Amino acid sequence: MHSEAAIREPLILGHKTYHDITNDIVGPIENKAPRGWYILFTISALIALYGVGCILYLISKGIGTWGLNKTVDWAWDITNFVWWVGIGHAGTLISAVLLLFRQKWRMAINRSAEAMTIFAVIMAGTFPMIHMGRIWMAYWVFPLPNQFGSLWVNFNSPLLWDVFAISTYFSVSLVFWYIGLIPDFATIRDKVTRPGMKKVYGILSFGWTGNAKAWTRFEEVSLVLAGIATPLVFSVHSVVSMDFATSVIPGWHTTIFPPYFVSGAVFSGFAMVQTLLLVLRKVMHMEAYITKKHVEYMNIVIIVTGSIVGVAYITELFISWYSGVEYESYAFINRATGPYWWAYATMMTCNVVSPQLFWSKKLRTNLAFTFFMSIVVNTGMWFERFVIIVTSLHRDYLPSSWTMFHPTWVDVGVFLGTIGIFFTLYLLFARFFPVLALNEVKSILKVSGESYKKEAANHQHH
Amino acid sequence: MSSTKRYWKDLGELHQQPAVIKGRENEFPQDLAIDQVLGDASFNGASTGRRDFLKFLGFGLGAATLAACETPVIKSIPYVNKPEDITPGVANWYASTFYDGEDLASILVKTREGRPIHIKGNPRFGLNRNPALPKGSINARINSSVLSLYDNERLKEPMMKGTEGMAAAKWSDADIAIGKGLAAAAGKRIVILTNTLASSSSVAAIEQLRTKHPTVEHVQMDTISYNGVTNANLKSFGKRVFPSYDLTKADVVVSVDADFLSNWGNTTESTWQYASRRQPGKGMNRHFQFEARMSLSGANADVRVPMKVSELPQVILALHAHISGSDSGADAAVMKATEHAAKALMAAKGRSVVLAGSNNEGVQVLVNSINSMLGNYGSTIDLEGHSYLRQGDDAAIAQLVKEMDAGTVGALLIAGVNPAYSLPNAEQFKAGLAKVPLTVSFSGYADETASLCNWICPDHHYLESWNDFMPKAGHYTLAQPVISPLFSTRQWQESLLRWSGSYTAYYSFIRENWQRNMAAHGGLTEMFADTWNQAVHDGVYEPAGMSFPASGVTFAGDVNAAMGMAKAAKAGEGEFELALYTTEAIGSGQHANNPWLQEMPDPLTKITWDNYVCMAPADIERMGLNMYLGEQAPASVVTVKAGDREITLPVVPTPGQRVGTIAIALGYGRGANGEKVGKAACVTDHNGVFNPVGQNAYPLTGTADGAVNYDVLNVSVTATGETYPVAITQTHLTDMDRHSVVKETNLATFLGGDKRAYNHPHELAVHEDVNGDGVINALDKKPVAEFDLWEEHPVEGVGHRWGLSIDLNGCIGCGACITACNSENNISVVGKDEVRRSREMHWLRLDRYYSSATTKESAKQDGLGKIDMYLKMEVPEESPTVVFMPVMCQHCNHAPCETVCPVAATTHSNEGLNQMAYNRCIGTRYCANNCPYKVRRFNWFNYVSEQFSEVNPAWDDLGRMVLNPDVTVRARGVIEKCSMCVQQIQAGKLEAKQAGTPVQDGAIETACSAACGTGAIVFGDLNDKKSKVLGLATSDRSYHMLEEIGVKPNVNYLVKVRNTEEAAAHHA
Repeated sequence: MHSEAAIREPLILGHKTYHDITNDIVGPIENKAPRGWYILFTISALIALYGVGCILYLISKGIGTWGLNKTVDWAWDITNFVWWVGIGHAGTLISAVLLLFRQKWRMAINRSAEAMTIFAVIMAGTFPMIHMGRIWMAYWVFPLPNQFGSLWVNFNSPLLWDVFAISTYFSVSLVFWYIGLIPDFATIRDKVTRPGMKKVYGILSFGWTGNAKAWTRFEEVSLVLAGIATPLVFSVHSVVSMDFATSVIPGWHTTIFPPYFVSGAVFSGFAMVQTLLLVLRKVMHMEAYITKKHVEYMNIVIIVTGSIVGVAYITELFISWYSGVEYESYAFINRATGPYWWAYATMMTCNVVSPQLFWSKKLRTNLAFTFFMSIVVNTGMWFERFVIIVTSLHRDYLPSSWTMFHPTWVDVGVFLGTIGIFFTLYLLFARFFPVLALNEVKSILKVSGESYKKEAANHQHH
Repeated sequence: MSSTKRYWKDLGELHQQPAVIKGRENEFPQDLAIDQVLGDASFNGASTGRRDFLKFLGFGLGAATLAACETPVIKSIPYVNKPEDITPGVANWYASTFYDGEDLASILVKTREGRPIHIKGNPRFGLNRNPALPKGSINARINSSVLSLYDNERLKEPMMKGTEGMAAAKWSDADIAIGKGLAAAAGKRIVILTNTLASSSSVAAIEQLRTKHPTVEHVQMDTISYNGVTNANLKSFGKRVFPSYDLTKADVVVSVDADFLSNWGNTTESTWQYASRRQPGKGMNRHFQFEARMSLSGANADVRVPMKVSELPQVILALHAHISGSDSGADAAVMKATEHAAKALMAAKGRSVVLAGSNNEGVQVLVNSINSMLGNYGSTIDLEGHSYLRQGDDAAIAQLVKEMDAGTVGALLIAGVNPAYSLPNAEQFKAGLAKVPLTVSFSGYADETASLCNWICPDHHYLESWNDFMPKAGHYTLAQPVISPLFSTRQWQESLLRWSGSYTAYYSFIRENWQRNMAAHGGLTEMFADTWNQAVHDGVYEPAGMSFPASGVTFAGDVNAAMGMAKAAKAGEGEFELALYTTEAIGSGQHANNPWLQEMPDPLTKITWDNYVCMAPADIERMGLNMYLGEQAPASVVTVKAGDREITLPVVPTPGQRVGTIAIALGYGRGANGEKVGKAACVTDHNGVFNPVGQNAYPLTGTADGAVNYDVLNVSVTATGETYPVAITQTHLTDMDRHSVVKETNLATFLGGDKRAYNHPHELAVHEDVNGDGVINALDKKPVAEFDLWEEHPVEGVGHRWGLSIDLNGCIGCGACITACNSENNISVVGKDEVRRSREMHWLRLDRYYSSATTKESAKQDGLGKIDMYLKMEVPEESPTVVFMPVMCQHCNHAPCETVCPVAATTHSNEGLNQMAYNRCIGTRYCANNCPYKVRRFNWFNYVSEQFSEVNPAWDDLGRMVLNPDVTVRARGVIEKCSMCVQQIQAGKLEAKQAGTPVQDGAIETACSAACGTGAIVFGDLNDKKSKVLGLATSDRSYHMLEEIGVKPNVNYLVKVRNTEEAAAHHA
């Protein structure tokens, strides 16, 4: 066992034994859920139901129930899609990239971050489906052999790339997440006493025995999957950005989009992880495992990615001027000063200015402030996509076709609904799944646990 | 033959043994023994077996599936005997004549399987024929008129006024009752009130009725009065007629408030005549327009001078003074403002024309005097071969209303007009109508007037009718039916014949009338059948030797008296002066029930489904009313008061409107008292109330000097504080100085011959020594056309490559192409609310750009920052110039839409067309986003559904008869767009193939190119070296919209050239 420098802050606070960890994580699954959970679940489920109703209404009546028009053919739908995909980026980044970089602090957060990824990608995937005029033909986007003649999909279309990128990302993330869950399910299986639960978790754990061979394979598979998932972190949002970058519309046709979108995605993903974990920590009493240090680490990621995003915004503005293309130049002036200036201002404030506050250690270790900031960042990132999509479209080449976009209640309802569904799924996860990778946390207990570190320090002194 | 033989199966049956009989009854038990089975106690305990369960499941599924299937309902009825001329799938075209009392045009009607579905101008015959193209010039109202045939609110039988309102009646009862009524009216006036008939057979039918009832009188009424012109001609030349104008001979056109390109006079002639002189070159005419509101003609003018309504007579006075050289007492300011026009007129004596829209007799006498001094009679103006239209007599109508009130009118028969709606004194008319013992309307609808009559004897739709017309001396046209009457209607002339005791069909009556007249004029009676058949075939008859050579006439008017009348129009005390006008789409109001027309955006304001107060932006700002209108930005509502009459309407900023004046369109507000005037005249508004579209502004008209007056010089405007949503298809006003969208220049620059001066190609700097100066630098440029980002589609020089060329000089903005496209391509009408949300489905739109005082150049000079520059560019100048630009799918060879569709629903044809496979479309709308021209339209809803039944003709069984069977009606959730009328292309290719010849240039026309009487839209094969379209596409004026983005469209535009002097060009 290797040891860790004493000056590194412990990742598990207080004195915990392996048994304590098992109890802390599995306990909430075994026992009755806290009242807070029920309240949150009811609210989320109601919003989710409303959202499902809106989606059904949308599908039964037509896309016209949204506020789109002949000029702005995408608005909240694709904004929401990109927003959710972006949020879905943090999970895999944490679990895969940080695994490859041997970042141990990831262990407390990767499980729920991955769950968030899965749910966010499901929500993201909803929008390209329901935004179709004929959702019942949605399967045509897959290159399926068919009897319609020699009909095949159009491999030139970035939307088709999206189909592949998102579905690959979703399936790899799901597998990665589930593999990580297996030993933890086995622990639950071993601990719970109710026969029904024992049976369910027994099935879920795929007959995990916990022998050394299984652990070796587990770690190997994790590494391999991390290797596969890492490029996906970058590819998915790059591909999503190409929906815009390969187009001809000023404000979309921008070569910096792939890195800009990826960093924006990580930015918003981490913000969402913060939102969720800070609540989870409180409701599920995980203060010992999700420490201020974890929060601080994530805030640092937010500063870095937020700054990259800021540089991207400024680069866009610079290029719009430097290119001398009148449409490009107008598109950006219009963003900043046109009828949607408030959206641009919101985006700039939330994404560029506010993350810079995290340079202050006091602020980035303040949990309440972090929670507030996580909401601000995600608001900002939603507006970023709105700005890119709507303000570019609403005034493009021909002034004759310039319009405004006004959302309808269905636009709002569907968006809120996906938030409701997302939280519903997340709360179900928190209730029935191990919210921390408990076996992985155990692996760092003796190295990064507060009491053990102190003990080790005492040994050295004597 | 019956037999009593009986057969049996066995002996038991023969002997009727009880056991056998019982057994036979049970052989096929009638009832299933379900009760027995369910009642069985042992059954309760038994579990359903696997096989049973599967059976139930299978049965249940099968039953549910079967129940869900709709039995196919086949409504088609095959021909038992195939009619000789009707081949399913092959269109028949018939020549006919459109005449609604205002516009007259020789048309061709396309019928499919016996149904008329499309109308275009007759390219071979008629006054509206542009011989240079050749094409028949028509407007949107004419080609949309086919839809009104299939209006479910047309009367389907005669109606009689009973105790409980109008009730259906029988023709026989109507004939008896009306016959009695006419007999009872003996001794009193029997008045037949019609529109200007210009039809010798119709007049003869009235004559025939007079033989039985000697007190029959004929009074003609024009909904929009031209008494000022006709009375002035009576005073000036002794002829009460509307002259015939020949703008092809006019080098200078000065129009004072005459919107001769939209609604003033015989526009089906003047549009093509005018456009034929707008080709940039030495022969290009010069057009001055003085007016208060921005009219279509004003928008086309080279020099447009906004004037107050009260100043317009002054303009005529001033022109008269300039040309006669004697003082007329015109304002000094107006004298100055008219100097340049007068100078141009003087320089073009005998080759110019002055037109005035005023209905003031004095003004028109002065106009006659001016034209006479200029020697325009005999060249641009013809009083010998004058028009026979616009014979309406306001004085006779005023007299009629008086006598109706006095009770001296025994019977009133009304055809083709709607006085209870359109007369200035409609209330008096209605009161008088109630006092007339017998009132009969021939209206096809229970409209404002008809619903007040004792009887409605509905007339055929004109496409079901025979008729003849004489629009001009020596020129006859025929209307023939193209379909059997859909309903139990009867042509009104035939009704007159019937009541005169004759049972002749009107067709025979016309034929006999022609035969008689020809004999009277020394025509060849023995050859009559041939002549007649040929005339019916052509739709036009121009007898040889009946020409009326235009000759100069002597002006004999009293100029001083005229000046007095003209000066009587003084600026009022009120804040505003009001000009009443008619719109390009609705006209005087009789087409207000046509959904295509209601949804056709006004050429200038781009507003659909409403009339409104046009007001100068400066006045709007001053009054603090809403300037920017859009989906969620409604218009302010104002009340306009003129004397004791008022109207409450939304107010719309209209650049070019003279400050201090407002304008309101007539023709709206039909069916305000719940009359059923047609499908789209009333719709459910944003408050959920079923209301007329717009408000009726006719009550604001007045009478002055015995003629209806459309200028109200003293009105007040007060804001009500309320707002009203308006549906606008183009909310942005200017072109933001984007030179690759609209290119325009002036004639001098064009004649300079340097293409780069007015049509500079977009160039990219390259890393090679292009200019050969030995250095590679930024001066080395190549036109963007030479670059290809992608592999080129192999369409250049291979097979066909279809393309359109659109001449911005030829386009006058009339919008006939829009409705022609609607008709040809089954474009859904979506109604006001959807248009307000910018969801109109038009495949072809007409972009209108006003000029702004701020350009990139002027901003540089003024040191304006970019942000301010763009903000100022959004604002049109106070008196802007206007560009109309028809935009349809540009059929790009590097189409951005094609690459982005995930399912390849939009692809490129090997003939250069950008194709749309509706069946493959899943509706991601990515293509629409990526279209730089924004021409793709999405089916946001199922537009052929009950929700849109009020407006979309495709919804009801009758309305959908107008659909073109060659074009799919698109379903919900798919994208659609201009196909360049691919069905016409295919048909044309097939025809050529059958004939064994290559496709001839001009043999195939798109709906828009066929509808464009000015020849602004030309369709053809760009691979055909001799084609007209290639010639235009390679001409110096040709450019591609947004050339620099490299999408390589197959549609090209020709630079707009204005005949302005250098100094007058607004860029300078």
